[in-house]
Amino acid sequence: MIMLNFSLRAILGYPHPILSLGGGVSLFMAEPSFEEIEKLLAGGAIIRNACDLDLLIFLWRHPRTLLTSEQVAAFVGYPMKEAAESLELFIGAGLLDRTQNALHAARMYVLKLDGPHGSRLKRLLELASTREGRYRVIEVLRPESSSNQPVPRQKLRVLRVA
Amino acid sequence: MPASELVKTGIAGLDDILNGGIPRGNVILLEGGIGTGKTTMGVEFIYRGASQFNEPGMIVLFEISPQKIVRDCLGFGWDLNELERNNLLKIVFTTREVLRQELQQADSVLIEEAANMGARRIFIDGVSRLIGNDRTAESRSAFHVLTEGLQRENLTAILAVEASAVNGDATRSLPEESIADTVILLGMVDNHRAITRSLEIVKSRGQDYQMGRHTFRIVNGEGIHVFHRVQAPRKPDRERAAAFDPASRVPTGIPGLDELINGGYFIGSTTVVVGISGVGKSVMGLQFMAEGVRRNERGLMLSLDEQVPQILRNAKSIGIDFEPAMASDLLRVEYEPPQEIEVDAHFHHIEQVVQTFKPKRVLIDSLSTYGSSLGTSGRLFRDFFHALVALMKENQVAAVYNHENPELLGMASMTGGLAMSSLVDNIVLLNWIELGDAFRIGLNVAKMRANRVDRTTHECEITGDGMRVLKREIPESEAGFSRYTGLLSRAPERRLRQPQPQAADGSRDE
Repeated sequence: MIMLNFSLRAILGYPHPILSLGGGVSLFMAEPSFEEIEKLLAGGAIIRNACDLDLLIFLWRHPRTLLTSEQVAAFVGYPMKEAAESLELFIGAGLLDRTQNALHAARMYVLKLDGPHGSRLKRLLELASTREGRYRVIEVLRPESSSNQPVPRQKLRVLRVA
Repeated sequence: MPASELVKTGIAGLDDILNGGIPRGNVILLEGGIGTGKTTMGVEFIYRGASQFNEPGMIVLFEISPQKIVRDCLGFGWDLNELERNNLLKIVFTTREVLRQELQQADSVLIEEAANMGARRIFIDGVSRLIGNDRTAESRSAFHVLTEGLQRENLTAILAVEASAVNGDATRSLPEESIADTVILLGMVDNHRAITRSLEIVKSRGQDYQMGRHTFRIVNGEGIHVFHRVQAPRKPDRERAAAFDPASRVPTGIPGLDELINGGYFIGSTTVVVGISGVGKSVMGLQFMAEGVRRNERGLMLSLDEQVPQILRNAKSIGIDFEPAMASDLLRVEYEPPQEIEVDAHFHHIEQVVQTFKPKRVLIDSLSTYGSSLGTSGRLFRDFFHALVALMKENQVAAVYNHENPELLGMASMTGGLAMSSLVDNIVLLNWIELGDAFRIGLNVAKMRANRVDRTTHECEITGDGMRVLKREIPESEAGFSRYTGLLSRAPERRLRQPQPQAADGSRDE
């Protein structure tokens, strides 16, 4: 399989997942390039930092969750305040629906990736669904990015779903 | 219960065991150890409901990510994403703590979601720790609250629970079992180092069902297949159908044999051909099938001993070419390896072929191999054979079973260690008989129900044209069997010639 992967990659010269099984599952994952990540982030994603990214990956894997915000923070491994900010950001951008019932501690969160930039976001999440891909995206998100072509901090911060 | 009030699970074979389905609104406890198939069965219940019966459903998960469930289901050909897009399915990820709180509230978000989509079914995976591992009144009460919440919405619910009973402690009952309407126990049965999946309906309120431990498989690209245990009683109407035509016969295709058995075996009859290895049972079987082909009758040959190419080669060695008949689907020749045979699934396959292909003749080679696989000491072989006999009679099939008797010379028992002779209509014995320095083949029709039978032993020969039964009256120079006594008793003796009465002219009548 590995041989096939390398040979196909060599033939196609294509650094992306060669076979997608749907649901974000891909075979023959290749390392995404910094350029592609930057392009995807610039083209409609809303991700500002690692917490945003990890929360979005979690929601992508669990697109309909019934959890308290404390549980959400615990699942993604970030402080409650940071996770809550990310949740608000996604809700504000229309990426996430949240049920409103003050009597319930738990809220139903439903991820919506069918907006105008949904396909770019899905692609970014696919890339970030591997360990290597996630590191690369986080690296690009960092102001002191070590890629050959560092991404200006300002450029990263303006990314938002239209 | 009327069929309209039953919820079909849609899982292959399960609704038959449930006699049509599960009463709507039942809370089903699906118990089993790790890896027994609880999640697959629960998800398939929801998938079939949404995709086949237009019943929206909800899956509630605690530990497995929905993305993984979606991925795994693609392996079965179930596209859960599409069902979600069509609002026929919602997969909710939550925690037990949240669910416990939710179900105690009349305005539960979860129940509201289910109501909004018009859900009729729900599957909650991993309920055990929701209600605690203890067996206190508190955990029982928590489960009761859960079931009440589900019943408010009249949801037919499967709740998967890990049961310690599977690990050998069957005497410990879970507190949930008495509250649930239906309890289904999944297990793994160790069968001589092979593992078979088992399913048992422990209880189900409001309906009759087939008790006992059935087997099931999880099949790639398809899902779950449940096979009712082969011993399960048949419905009486099936037994009535087994009354067969007492006049129609099926010729054997063995020259000389049909004359001994009044023209052939009855349709719907069970014939066992018994003999040691190499004595000609398979040759007889091939000719039996070839005769069916010649008469344009459908036939099924099932071998556990030889693979199909080898059977075809053997047939060609006696001038029989089965390939055209197989190509035109007049004849089916199948091989099933006897190792680790799962008897319920195996019987189900035969039943399906017999009911859909509708053969007039069936040859099974051999019963002794079934005996080796299933064991001869318990009831399993006999129950399996009984089911086979009943199936063939119901479908008016003339069935011939080869059986290897290990005794080289003579026979102390007709069917060896397999207790089956009372189920059999006809028994044909094939024996080696040592005369001079050669083994010769002796044939004796030892039993033939509803027939007058000539029980003398006849010699057979096998040539390039197959087997034939020789006429008994053959010239003395060939030392025919008629010249001997004790042919099957391991001590054949040539008859002494009686002195012929002297004629008046002094000559003898030869």
